[in-house]
Amino acid sequence: MEFSETDEHVALRQAVAAIAGKFGGEYYARKAAAHEPTSELWKALGEHGYIGINLPEDYGGGGAGLTELTIVCEETGAQGAPLLLLLVSSAICGEIIADYGTAEQRARWLPGLASGESRIVFAITEPDAGTNTHRLSTTATRDGADYLLSGRKYYISGVDVADAILVVARSGPDDADGRTRLSLFLVDTDAPGLTVEPLPVSVQVPERQFTLYLDDVRVPADRLIGGEGEGFGQVFHGLNPERITGAALCVGVGRYVLDRAAAYASTRTVWDVPVGAHQGVAHPLAEARIQVELAALMTRKAAWLHDQGLPAGEAANMAKYAAAEAALAAADAAIQTHGGNGLSAGYGLLPYWGLARLLRIAPVSREMVLNFVAQHTLGLPRSY
Amino acid sequence: MNIVVCVKQVPDTWSERTLRESDSTLDRDAADAVINELDEYAIEEGLRLAEAHGGEVTILSMGPDRATEAIRKALSMGADKAVHLVDDALAGSDLLGTSAALAAVLGQIGFDLVILGSESTDARTGALPAMLAERLGVPQLSYASKVEVDGSAISIHRLADYGYDTVEATLPAVVSVVEKINEPRYPTFKGIMAAKKKPVQTMSLADAGIDPATVGLANAASEVTGWAKRPPRQAGTIVTDEGDGGAKAAGFLAERKFI
Ligand SMILES: Cc1cc2nc3c(=O)[nH]c(=O)nc-3n(C[C@H](O)[C@H](O)[C@H](O)COP(=O)(O)OP(=O)(O)OC[C@H]3O[C@@H](n4cnc5c(N)ncnc54)[C@H](O)[C@@H]3O)c2cc1C
Repeated sequence: MEFSETDEHVALRQAVAAIAGKFGGEYYARKAAAHEPTSELWKALGEHGYIGINLPEDYGGGGAGLTELTIVCEETGAQGAPLLLLLVSSAICGEIIADYGTAEQRARWLPGLASGESRIVFAITEPDAGTNTHRLSTTATRDGADYLLSGRKYYISGVDVADAILVVARSGPDDADGRTRLSLFLVDTDAPGLTVEPLPVSVQVPERQFTLYLDDVRVPADRLIGGEGEGFGQVFHGLNPERITGAALCVGVGRYVLDRAAAYASTRTVWDVPVGAHQGVAHPLAEARIQVELAALMTRKAAWLHDQGLPAGEAANMAKYAAAEAALAAADAAIQTHGGNGLSAGYGLLPYWGLARLLRIAPVSREMVLNFVAQHTLGLPRSY
Repeated sequence: MNIVVCVKQVPDTWSERTLRESDSTLDRDAADAVINELDEYAIEEGLRLAEAHGGEVTILSMGPDRATEAIRKALSMGADKAVHLVDDALAGSDLLGTSAALAAVLGQIGFDLVILGSESTDARTGALPAMLAERLGVPQLSYASKVEVDGSAISIHRLADYGYDTVEATLPAVVSVVEKINEPRYPTFKGIMAAKKKPVQTMSLADAGIDPATVGLANAASEVTGWAKRPPRQAGTIVTDEGDGGAKAAGFLAERKFI
């Protein structure tokens, strides 16, 4: 077993950290508070080949794997500038188009994703389906050579900065054996029949959320990604990368807030020693650091499994769970360490708590991960 | 144009730096190692000149095995190849030794233009570029904030207190740069992956034809005879603004010759 990183991975960490560090936490917290996209950072990373690092070289990507994309997610987070849309654009949409798109679709969409010049966001969540994907009601009906999409999606991140949305829709009745017939469509963000409405959230994140109303949106057949009715399996293939990159983002955020807290606790003195000398302050930080480190290990394992083409579902779920819990514990301890300053706009820590809190719910909730582990790892009966 | 950029690996200025008790040389293991910051500007300038005029950029670094990290970084920024002068006998070399060793290698590999940072963040003498030019018998253009090459003519802006001087020379030459000169690029992912395939030639003293009696701690002409830790930072001066805060702050700065 080998735990040391290759020279290239070390160099990759340093390069991403250098670019993201130029923006840093102050930039992020300001953007997050204003709900403004961190496009400058996205652009800088894209120009240097880090946004599409996992995409095929033939289409302008880096030709590397999820292991490398997780390093990008972690290091941007560790500089205090996490990029939520990496999970969606580079991880889910990039991987799905690279794996299931036709040669024409890959040539059309991947170069933009690879350079970071265009973004594709992902729409699965619906008001009446929630966590239960089998109840999705957005439908795609054949109309000549085209499809007509109708339905509603909500909490869809980044529509304002995206060129297209990868929409998960039902393209037929369930099979006799209960298999849900889902298909994936690339819908332009300005497609006629699509209404995009802001959905305000009170966590401070730069990425905005939206409700999508699809009213007979006409989608040509060349916008169907993969086989008709094969969407369920394809989505599941894309969800592991999303969970793994989500875990990496949390690891990065955890490292960042704990570094901030350690720096503060070493200098802030209100009795005769720095507050970090009090175990009541130090131990929660140390505990969170342990959790972050453990989550980082699991994240690397999950990314490695995915890159080897081995089953990665269990590791991806465990990594996502552990990393979100660790980031939340880290953010909470960091805020507590700062006392009143922990809640100030100037210290800018609350956005990281909000982000970690969000990642306990999305892209997959902690309950659904626990269900997965209970059922698949422990063989326990299912409640739903 | 055959451009050689000299690169030194130094302890990170952000980490706690100290000297070794045994021989008063820098304790390189005690701190993270990075490329000397000004050398990144030198690399960037070399790359820009090669992009504009054609030619190759070679990195030359003298240092222990670990200096390969700095060399890889320079290659990942886009340099074409590197020469690593590495030999235990070089440890502790002073400026005379270092300049002799680098000049020997430069004499062997050839160059049209040698670019260096104006000083390193560890030794900070700022004298190496001049010594190197002297040993190589070529013109020195120092503290460059701008470099222009036209055929075999080179002209620079040399940064001065009052602005800049324009200095001209004919290639081959040695140029040292200041950070005003450019904005060093970050390595791209392609650059990182390409760096591991680029040629790095290691040279020993014997390979470079350097006389061991001219280098190393034992042969250094200068010697550190004593040193002390910097005293802990004193508490700052607090200026209370009673309408005259600006004048008081200016007085404080003037007293220390900052303004
Ligand atoms: C800021 C933000 C950004 C988002 N971005 C996107 C996006 O870009 N694209 C997208 O498609 N979606 C996005 N989402 C939606 C997100 O993925 C969902 O909110 C999440 O998957 C949970 O679904 P739900 O909100 O419908 O919860 P529900 O399914 O309504 O669940 C409610 C609660 O019940 C629990 N629960 C449900 N079923 C079970 C069960 N069987 N056992 C135990 N507990 C259960 C859940 O864990 C949860 O705690 C985003 C959400 C937010 C808040």
